[in-house]
Amino acid sequence: MSQDPAQALAAVVPPELRDLLRGRQLVLARPVGGPHAGRHTGVRAGLGDQFRGHVPYSPGDDPRRIDWRAVARRDRLVLRQTDAEDALSLVLLVDAAGGMAYGTGTSNKQRHAAALAAALAHLALRQGDNLGFALGRDGALELAQLRPRSGPSRLGALAHALTREASGVCPLPDLVAAVAPTLPRRSLVLLLSDLLDPDPTRPDADEQFLRGLAALRSRGHDVVLVQVLHRDELELPWTERGMLRFEDPRGAREAVEGHAPGLRPAYLERLHAHLGGLERGCAESGLHLHRTVTDEPLTGALLALLARLSGHPEPAPTLEPAGARR
Amino acid sequence: MSLLAPLMLLGLLGLALPLLAHLRGREQPRRVAFAALRFLAPRDEVITQRHRLRDRLLLALRLGLLALLVLALSRPVSVGDARVAVLGEAHDAVLLLDASFSMGLQVDGHSLRVASEDAGAAILEALPAGSRVGLLSTDPAGPRLELSADPGRIRQALADWAAQPPGAGAWTLESGLPGALALLRLAGDGPQRRVVYAIGDLTARGLGSLPATAAPEVPVLPVPAAGTLTAPPPVLEHLSLESVHWSPAREIDPQAVRISGEVRRHGPAGGPPRRVVLVLRIADEATARAEIDVPAAGLASFEFNHTAAAAGPTAATVEISELGDDALPGDEVRHLWLAGEDRIEVALVNGDPSEMRAHDEVFFLATALAASGSARRLSVHSLAPDQLEARLRSGDHLADVDVLVLANVRAPAEDIAPVLRDRVAAGMGLWISVGDRVEARAYNERLGELLPLLLREPLIVGTAPGRTEARSEGVAPPNLTHPILLGLHGELGLLGTRTRRIFLLEPDPSRSAEVALSFTSGAPALISRPFERGRVAMLTTSIDRDWSDLPLRPGFVPLAERVLAWLDTGHPGASAATIRAGEPRLIPTDRPVTVHTPDGQERVLPPELEGQAVFKNTLVPGHYHVTRQGGEPLTFAVQRDPAESDTTAVPVRPLALDGDQVLAAAQHPRWRPLVQLAALLLLLETLLRLRRSRRRR
Repeated sequence: MSQDPAQALAAVVPPELRDLLRGRQLVLARPVGGPHAGRHTGVRAGLGDQFRGHVPYSPGDDPRRIDWRAVARRDRLVLRQTDAEDALSLVLLVDAAGGMAYGTGTSNKQRHAAALAAALAHLALRQGDNLGFALGRDGALELAQLRPRSGPSRLGALAHALTREASGVCPLPDLVAAVAPTLPRRSLVLLLSDLLDPDPTRPDADEQFLRGLAALRSRGHDVVLVQVLHRDELELPWTERGMLRFEDPRGAREAVEGHAPGLRPAYLERLHAHLGGLERGCAESGLHLHRTVTDEPLTGALLALLARLSGHPEPAPTLEPAGARR
Repeated sequence: MSLLAPLMLLGLLGLALPLLAHLRGREQPRRVAFAALRFLAPRDEVITQRHRLRDRLLLALRLGLLALLVLALSRPVSVGDARVAVLGEAHDAVLLLDASFSMGLQVDGHSLRVASEDAGAAILEALPAGSRVGLLSTDPAGPRLELSADPGRIRQALADWAAQPPGAGAWTLESGLPGALALLRLAGDGPQRRVVYAIGDLTARGLGSLPATAAPEVPVLPVPAAGTLTAPPPVLEHLSLESVHWSPAREIDPQAVRISGEVRRHGPAGGPPRRVVLVLRIADEATARAEIDVPAAGLASFEFNHTAAAAGPTAATVEISELGDDALPGDEVRHLWLAGEDRIEVALVNGDPSEMRAHDEVFFLATALAASGSARRLSVHSLAPDQLEARLRSGDHLADVDVLVLANVRAPAEDIAPVLRDRVAAGMGLWISVGDRVEARAYNERLGELLPLLLREPLIVGTAPGRTEARSEGVAPPNLTHPILLGLHGELGLLGTRTRRIFLLEPDPSRSAEVALSFTSGAPALISRPFERGRVAMLTTSIDRDWSDLPLRPGFVPLAERVLAWLDTGHPGASAATIRAGEPRLIPTDRPVTVHTPDGQERVLPPELEGQAVFKNTLVPGHYHVTRQGGEPLTFAVQRDPAESDTTAVPVRPLALDGDQVLAAAQHPRWRPLVQLAALLLLLETLLRLRRSRRRR
């Protein structure tokens, strides 16, 4: 395991993305409630730069915080209050199931998700935020690094976990359920997955998964789902007349043989129904859904994700190819 | 069970071919590891399963198909008990096949015809090297192959012949022997011995008809198609319609006919009678139905009375209905042509014409015929004797005349008498009535051959009317058994007849003349005689009032009608409108005629001698329609000879050949069911493949 954060980062994040990370910050739209002081606006009042409001002076308050200009206007003693600046507890949940191994080169889903995860982790740690992460792989959950911590060693551990090959099943409902009790207050939970098949072994996995996420949200955590899809999954683009044998990379579903042109209409119909259901479920539960397709440049994908986190209005998730949008 | 070509079983190795083709031909799909598999799954699981299942079924079908073909090619046979002795030295042989209808008998699921193919094949197998063999069947339209050393040709012809259904009108095996001998003679006189192998069933028309030798030094070897000569096959029960005929039933109605016949139940004796349903069809419409009980191995007769609603001849069919599986199908139907309304052309030769109608010789006859019930079917025209002679001399052979009446004609001229004689021999009816002008010697010299009895002289037996001494000759009660008067009753209204003159005849027992009516003195009044195919009747008094008051009697009209009907052999009802299969049918015509056969063929026949066309190909039972240019259409029915349906086994003596013999076992091929099964599998395979390819598209 490489303990050097720079080396660890280089193993996961491509150079152009590393260049992009230079001088960038992770800015969040919502206030955080971290365990210690940091760079993010906290939910409580404290020592910070951001003016929060005036409160009446009570004996015992620090007289240095009296806002004399306001006292002159109001003719009574008031204190100037600022938002606290807290550190963020960022928890990354990474789907390392076999389905994420699809794609070659830069369009590999796992590689795409790993780069985004590592980039965010790098930004967070660099700002002194705490980072915890958990993975699901081969039907098991890796929860050892779940408790958010700061420090460069976390980045190395994350990079090491992300470089391992994705395989088997990642039971997303279980992952969410396992994470929920251990999260610090007002954490940012960022789940990277294709979200196509939360748990092939359970028929009601979709509902259970969304219920788990909604429960997290109701506890005050911010939940962002980053859906990493490959263009093939969106379009089933094979036009050949020959037979294709579609096999489950997770090994959980029975293989299907057929001709792609014949299968496509029903497939697209079901896929869009699923994606639509997911969007509605997220909207109803206050979850943020950010969709990225692996044929987009990583830099653009990261910038879009950062903008989304910082509260910039994000266009609706698009399913068009990258080239068509230009 | 043994195999004629066991090496063919090596072909089973070929079973690997479809297996390999199947494995190689199966499309190898490209594998794609795909995370969104769940959106493909619901439909495609089904497709995947079907695909596999169908492939296996196809494979099994193809393997089964190939295996069956290989097994069939190895020609499995079961060797029967029947063994035929074949001459052990090289010889000339003719296979004479019994093509009679009884060979259609179904024994063990296949006909005797097929069994005789097997027996023939066994003989061909056993013939010593150097033998020559020919083939002949008793079917007039059957194969006839001259002797050759190539048994393959004979085997093929045998197979082709056995595949055809048995027809009608086949000869007996004995009648086929001259043809077989002719084949042997055609092969030339060599040193080789000659044998005729006659293959047939053990019936009177089959092997039972054979003599021991066909010619000096040519033995005829009976080969039963099924069983052996000493152990005939079990007797199978089947029903056949026999001797169905019809006759007019004028006592019921002028249009009525009586259709009668018998049903024979062939098979073992004993057992309860069997209820049989008979259906009469008139013009293809079921008109009547009857049920009769037929005793085991016996006959039961039936009779239908039918009155036609419309005038004119009609096609009629009698068939045994609701028969189920008969061991000998095809003889349950008999066709009839109810020709009761055929027109009869009557030519009256007036030997004593008069301007006063009542004194005219043929006035009363013509008037009686016009008043008779059959007036509609009679076409009467009169002519003078010189007109008749002129017609005959001009080459007109009276082809369109069915009955010629010579009324008080002196005598036919010498040169035309032979023509008249030939015409009567060919079927024309001749009615001679005498009178003052008749010259007995001239008649006896010129037409004596066909007269019922020779004329002697006229005799005065009564006085002229008005005399105080009234004396006359009366008519005795008629002979109702005579064919002319058959079916009539009573004295016919002729008893008061007074006759003054009669013509005496020369008694001659050698002439088979029959008296229908005689005078009270015993002298014949109406005498008849068949002459070859024609008939002759003679009235020994005048047909007008000169010699007798017969024409004034109420019985004269039916008498004249009956005489004409009897003389008309061209349309005598059952006897010519219905003929046996194979019998020639004479068609009176001067021009070519077209015959439409029941199997849909058309044959054009030119007229032959004496204004008649001869149609010989009457092998298919059914109705034959003849169209004649310028003449009325004609129809006749062909019935199968009931004797052909007879499957009663007769004893046949086995023949011992001189010299060495080889036993040829009759081998029953068992590959036909295999081939049929293979064809079925092929059909299934094609259907399955088509269905699959359609699904793929």
